[in-house]
Amino acid sequence: MSARLARGLRASLFWGAVALILVYMTIPAFVVLMTSVSPSELLEFPPSGFSFRWYERAFSYPDFQNAFVNGLIVTAFASSLSLLIGSAFAYLVDRYVFAGRAALEAVLASPLIIPHFTTGFGFLLLGADLGLGQSYAVVIATHVVLTLPFVSRTVYVSLRNLDPALERAATNLGASPFEVLKRVTLPLLRPGMVGGWLLAAILSLTEFTASLYVTAQRTQTLPVAMYTYVREYTDPTIAAISALLIIFTTALMLLANRCLGLRRILAIDVH
Amino acid sequence: MRPRPFFLWFFLPSLAAAVLLVAALGEIAQYAFRVFTPGSLEVGGFTLDNFARLARPIYLSVLGDTLLISLATSLFTLLLSYPVAYAMVRAKSDFLRSLIMLLAVTPLFTGEIVRTYAWILVLGSNGFVNTVLKSAGLIGAPLGLLYTRFGVIVALVQFSMPVMIIILATALAHVDRNCERAAANLGAGPAQVFRHVTLPLTLPGVVSGTVVIFAWTMSAFSTPQLIGGGKVLMISNLVYLQGLSSFNFPFAAVLSLLALAVAMGSLGSMHPFVSRLELKAAIN
Amino acid sequence: MKAQALPAVELTRVSKNFDAVQAVRELSLTIQKGELLTLLGPSGCGKTTLLNMIAGFDVPSGGSIVIDGRDVTAVPPYRRETGMVFQSYALFPHMNVFENVAFGLRMRKMAKLGIERAVGRALEMVKLEGFASRRVGQLSGGQQQRVALARAIVIGPKVLLLDEPLSALDKNLRRAMQLELRELHERTGLTTVFVTHDQEEALGLSDRIVVMSRGEIQQVAAPLELYRSPANGFVASFIGEINRLPPARCRIEGDEAVFEIAGHVVLRARRREKLTIAEGQETHLFVRPEHLTIATSKSSAQNKVSCRVTTHLYQGAYTLTRVDAGPLGNLQLRALGGEAIAAAPIGSQIEIDIDLDEAVILAG
Repeated sequence: MSARLARGLRASLFWGAVALILVYMTIPAFVVLMTSVSPSELLEFPPSGFSFRWYERAFSYPDFQNAFVNGLIVTAFASSLSLLIGSAFAYLVDRYVFAGRAALEAVLASPLIIPHFTTGFGFLLLGADLGLGQSYAVVIATHVVLTLPFVSRTVYVSLRNLDPALERAATNLGASPFEVLKRVTLPLLRPGMVGGWLLAAILSLTEFTASLYVTAQRTQTLPVAMYTYVREYTDPTIAAISALLIIFTTALMLLANRCLGLRRILAIDVH
Repeated sequence: MRPRPFFLWFFLPSLAAAVLLVAALGEIAQYAFRVFTPGSLEVGGFTLDNFARLARPIYLSVLGDTLLISLATSLFTLLLSYPVAYAMVRAKSDFLRSLIMLLAVTPLFTGEIVRTYAWILVLGSNGFVNTVLKSAGLIGAPLGLLYTRFGVIVALVQFSMPVMIIILATALAHVDRNCERAAANLGAGPAQVFRHVTLPLTLPGVVSGTVVIFAWTMSAFSTPQLIGGGKVLMISNLVYLQGLSSFNFPFAAVLSLLALAVAMGSLGSMHPFVSRLELKAAIN
Repeated sequence: MKAQALPAVELTRVSKNFDAVQAVRELSLTIQKGELLTLLGPSGCGKTTLLNMIAGFDVPSGGSIVIDGRDVTAVPPYRRETGMVFQSYALFPHMNVFENVAFGLRMRKMAKLGIERAVGRALEMVKLEGFASRRVGQLSGGQQQRVALARAIVIGPKVLLLDEPLSALDKNLRRAMQLELRELHERTGLTTVFVTHDQEEALGLSDRIVVMSRGEIQQVAAPLELYRSPANGFVASFIGEINRLPPARCRIEGDEAVFEIAGHVVLRARRREKLTIAEGQETHLFVRPEHLTIATSKSSAQNKVSCRVTTHLYQGAYTLTRVDAGPLGNLQLRALGGEAIAAAPIGSQIEIDIDLDEAVILAG
């Protein structure tokens, strides 16, 4: 009986601790949501009422409007380019043996290790010396390089999980290498490629540190505009945008979990 | 294997991306050796002075602070993440596993500005923590949480946890439950099973997670920038100050190289370490 | 086996090296039109590599491959007109049953109406009418197997290649599929090369069996011949169960061959025409368990050996009995039913009779 009691006590201690840690992880998001609908200019808890005024201000602030559009342009180009290059690279690494493969792999995986401010600073200098300044081309190139490792890894995992007999079967049935690629390999890689593209899009949309270096007023993305605003004003306009971003990503995560299984995307397969 | 066609289709885009990145890093390396002309974006001839400048006490103390904050962050992240990862992998109900996963992983994708701003709201002198404590009558004057190392670490740990949880959960999911059952069958209690079986088997995950978070925190920028508010300086903030405020590109380049070296060094040290640990876990 | 003018597949001195490993060594083999030929051997014997070379997935390091009179050694796999069924079936998961079977016809640019008719016929042949619009994931293992077969057959291949297609099925289903495969072969008359490591499957299905080991052919023969007169020790012990007796010296006494084992045990066999063993030569005797019987006091057999019973393994239809026969070593007997268990309890001394007339006798 006492053994069972000890076991119960241990379990409730463990789950209590887990719950507390999860509260610590999620409380900032709840505070943001709460602040975003507060009517007051000063931060206050609990909020004294309910209002959408900060949302109105966020939507009508021209810097945010421009930054939002800039961000969409950059993300659209960067994530699509990243998908193309990353998929090609994953296929290259999986299928071809060539001189310098290890070096190419190391270089393209390195943005995972290199601090974003280093990458951003490097592209700032490169853009300046090439006469491109802080143009869209430079911003997009930076985002492509930063998101590439995530896309290529996702596609690479899908490629590894592909039964090689499927491509052989298609070949045996008379499909030329191009037909095999078009009718068997690519369709079967689609889930991995969609996952990789989504990942690239989210990372590009929310990337801040490197973007701070490579964007100018004309090309700045939403996180950079938010950073500038936070440094100048203290009202909860940013809370409104943040709340929208939190709701958006949570919805996306729920969707990804429902459709693809988050555990599978993150490669945590629970036995 | 037959020679495969389309090689260039797949090779050239990857090569182009790699060339761009190498060129960007090459630019930093090149600038690091150039003479800085105050008031001008143009740089002069070649010099080693920028590296010598690193030895000044102020920069050494920033480097020390950066290492200290990174170390503390990675250790606290590990301590808080392990129970969550364990609960996520081992919870019996599917719903609970998904819920923990969602709560633990979503913060990773909201972006660093949103996350940092949220912590300003939580830690500020009129923020959530102080307001709650004050209305509970526990404190008279607000606690100074913002603009301190403590505040920076509290925020950094929360940012780092999703990545750590994913790494630990992967390691935990690959532990063969029958090894634990075998230990229990041989008379080990829950604590002993954890100490002698579960923990050693997940040690490679623990080590790689800690090193990854260490390197990651080394390059954190917005958190020390906004929550540190100039009172807590890390290398990243120094690069920003030198590069985008003083326009001293050469010295900013030196600092960038330093950060790159530390990040690569800590991750580079991991591979032999992990395999050695795995070996040790296998032998014991 | 019908001898015809043009063989379906002709392999001439074919080799395949993977780095330092020789998977197949200068192997020559002719596959007749319409026969079902099995490549049998332990894993790593080169049988799958040989199949992959016929299909074109592996390029030979030396030698030539001719299919239907055309040298295809340098022809890529997608122009070889072979139909392959893979061990994992390799059904395309993003297509339904109809699309899977139609794939090869589409690649051949067949008209839509023709495709529908051909796929319908192929599905009928494998008894899957009405499954055309099913998704592959909804099918059982046996059904997937049939789709894979239909997909390979529908293109009218010059040769059908089966790479251990039954190994993923459970025992009962495997037996049923063996019968169906054989029937299908009778109906279509397709030249078929079947790879397996399961000797029972090979014996049951094949017109001819090629036994392989270490990249070389050990023997090519019809199942019956293979079982009764294996060409060498490897084939003898790989096909079915067999007792290998210690080396013997042979001498001829009139109508009989007399074998002396370990100095004093003497066994006798009728002289056979085929037996070409010289006086005093060292020989190896292989005896199948069913040719060892427990001797009754009445029996007048000539090769009686006394031994001690060590174990019985009851198998339902028969019982395997293991005995310690002293200088002859451990031997296995197979007897119908389960009477042996009571008749010869474990530990008891019994006499067994060795029927050497059915034994395999090989010169050392």
